[in-house]
Amino acid sequence: MTKVLVIDTSTDRTSAGLVSEGEVLVSYFHDDPLAHGEVLPKLVAQILATDSSIDLVAIAVGPGPFTGLRVGIAFGEAFALAREIPWVGVSSLAAMAQAHNDPDFIVAIDARRREFFCEHYREGKLVAPARTLQREELAEFTIPIYYEPPTVSAIAALALAGETTTKPIYIRKPDAYPAPKGITFRPWSQMDLVPIYALEKSIYLDDPWSLEQFKEEYAGKSRQYLVAEFEGVVVGYAGVMLAGDVTDILTLTVAPEFRRRGIAREFLKRMVDWSRNQKVDAMMLEMRVGNAEAEPLYFENGFRKIAERANYYGPGLTAVVMRKELGK
Amino acid sequence: MSSQPLILGIETSCDETAVGIVRGRTLLANVISSSVEEHARFGGVVPEIASRAHLEAMPFVLQQALREAKVALRDIDAIGVTAGPGLIGALLVGTSAAEGLALALDKPIYGVNHLSAHLAVDALDESRSLQPAIGLLVSGGHSSIIEVTDLAKGVRVLGATIDDAAGEAFDKIARLLELDFPGGPAIDRLAKSGDLEAIDFPRGLQSSDYNFSFSGLKTAVSRYLKQAPSAVKADVAASFQEAVVDVLLTKAIRACTEKGIESLLIAGGVAANSRLRAEAQRRCDLAKIELRTPPAALCTDNGAMVAALTSLAVSGGVSPSSIGFSTLSTVPLDQPTWA
Repeated sequence: MTKVLVIDTSTDRTSAGLVSEGEVLVSYFHDDPLAHGEVLPKLVAQILATDSSIDLVAIAVGPGPFTGLRVGIAFGEAFALAREIPWVGVSSLAAMAQAHNDPDFIVAIDARRREFFCEHYREGKLVAPARTLQREELAEFTIPIYYEPPTVSAIAALALAGETTTKPIYIRKPDAYPAPKGITFRPWSQMDLVPIYALEKSIYLDDPWSLEQFKEEYAGKSRQYLVAEFEGVVVGYAGVMLAGDVTDILTLTVAPEFRRRGIAREFLKRMVDWSRNQKVDAMMLEMRVGNAEAEPLYFENGFRKIAERANYYGPGLTAVVMRKELGK
Repeated sequence: MSSQPLILGIETSCDETAVGIVRGRTLLANVISSSVEEHARFGGVVPEIASRAHLEAMPFVLQQALREAKVALRDIDAIGVTAGPGLIGALLVGTSAAEGLALALDKPIYGVNHLSAHLAVDALDESRSLQPAIGLLVSGGHSSIIEVTDLAKGVRVLGATIDDAAGEAFDKIARLLELDFPGGPAIDRLAKSGDLEAIDFPRGLQSSDYNFSFSGLKTAVSRYLKQAPSAVKADVAASFQEAVVDVLLTKAIRACTEKGIESLLIAGGVAANSRLRAEAQRRCDLAKIELRTPPAALCTDNGAMVAALTSLAVSGGVSPSSIGFSTLSTVPLDQPTWA
């Protein structure tokens, strides 16, 4: 007669329940993507008011949006520690899959930023382990996709079946980019051209744009150029141009000592916003092969490699062409 | 509950996972696990990295604190936890763990103000009765002058920084000088071999109020380094540090004089700065003010301060927080505990 306290904060839903011998004695849930911390203690307090004798804590440990996910684990682990009872973690996606018996299906949890944490099941078996898919990628599947949060009975069942872990399932790495504090972003002015050219020369040693090229860009139409400033000094610049039914990122440059602080990310966000306003289908860019710093940023933001151009940056220097569909 | 309540305090507002245990005003345990090294290469605290580290460290820190205090969880009379201000994702690990403990043990929970808690460490000096003080709270997130009469009932904020916190300025200047993160200790070390009068950096906001501004100073240092790239770094560090120390102490001591309060309490991470401590002692002696500086281990973020403030709240008859109280990243400092 193991009585299991079930806790789940891995989706927009916060759930808590008490399960014994496969029977749900009591359960509560509340849907709010931003209130797991406030809701979970209240739900558990309601359960304890009914029945306070608990033998095991079962926690859905994700994948799921991180901040909410940690609420359930921190709470449940501390609860178990104080009661001197064991706790186990269960995969949220595995628990979701328990509810379905189609021959071929996907379970998905909203991971924010137009992405989903997904698992693929076929003939009752997990085919591919959990990973993230973009909303557009997921939309291409023709098999059923289930989004319903896991039930407390499914979480309890997996916990008792021993399919458990004690670590949160994150899948995504932390965004190691502190907000670009103290950095201001603004459209460029003619006064920025010389400092931009100085930065350009110091970074693109092989083939920097000339000052003349920047002046031509400045005079050009259908473009948006931005600069990032710190303490009145230009520390980065980026430009995007309208080219028919797409926009083309012309440059995205950040001074080395200001990298990994979210500046490129902010530039890209603004260029995407600008491109959407141009009502184009997609964004394009050319990037040097093996630009290890830039590639993950573009990939995360939905850019995919569509072609390579040999000798684009000079003899032997290949360019990768990337494209991001903007959708409607 | 006895007049000497046994309190467990949890702190996770930034990058330290900390648990402290006090009985009344007696410190029993103060265990801290820091993720600072994981943030160093990013030049600042990365919230998601800090939050993951909190979750991982929490059970170990908690059990270590119980071992050191030689108490069991069931003996605890109340749980205190930092409810804000701080990084939301980081705070939530602490508050969720605290709620889990409180519900499992059926004990009251107090969500406390991180800033008031910094000042409450002074109560852990049992040799002394609690007295009114002017608190100078200086850390990576805060630079405030606070009038303290009864911490359990609330404090009065007399002034605060209008832009960067003092500790933030240290971090940024350290970055300009290509020193390690966190910048406070790095500048403190380097400044020891520098001339603090070498460069006359501006003292921001010499107004009659108790507010601070460090943004202009930061710009001045940045400009100076561009104009004089071969400047002696130790001199820049010492002169910058002196400018910060000067404005902090000028206003803090003026607050003591104007409010007729004879005790100055310096708390927060920057209180560990050796130049600030030395100069504070000199100026307090001159002004006949008693200087209170907690031991360095209680200056940076810790759980003992949370337990200390909770203990004062319990003894002062303050009502506990409700189950599922909100965690807020910014709250008025004059509110010591959450409803």
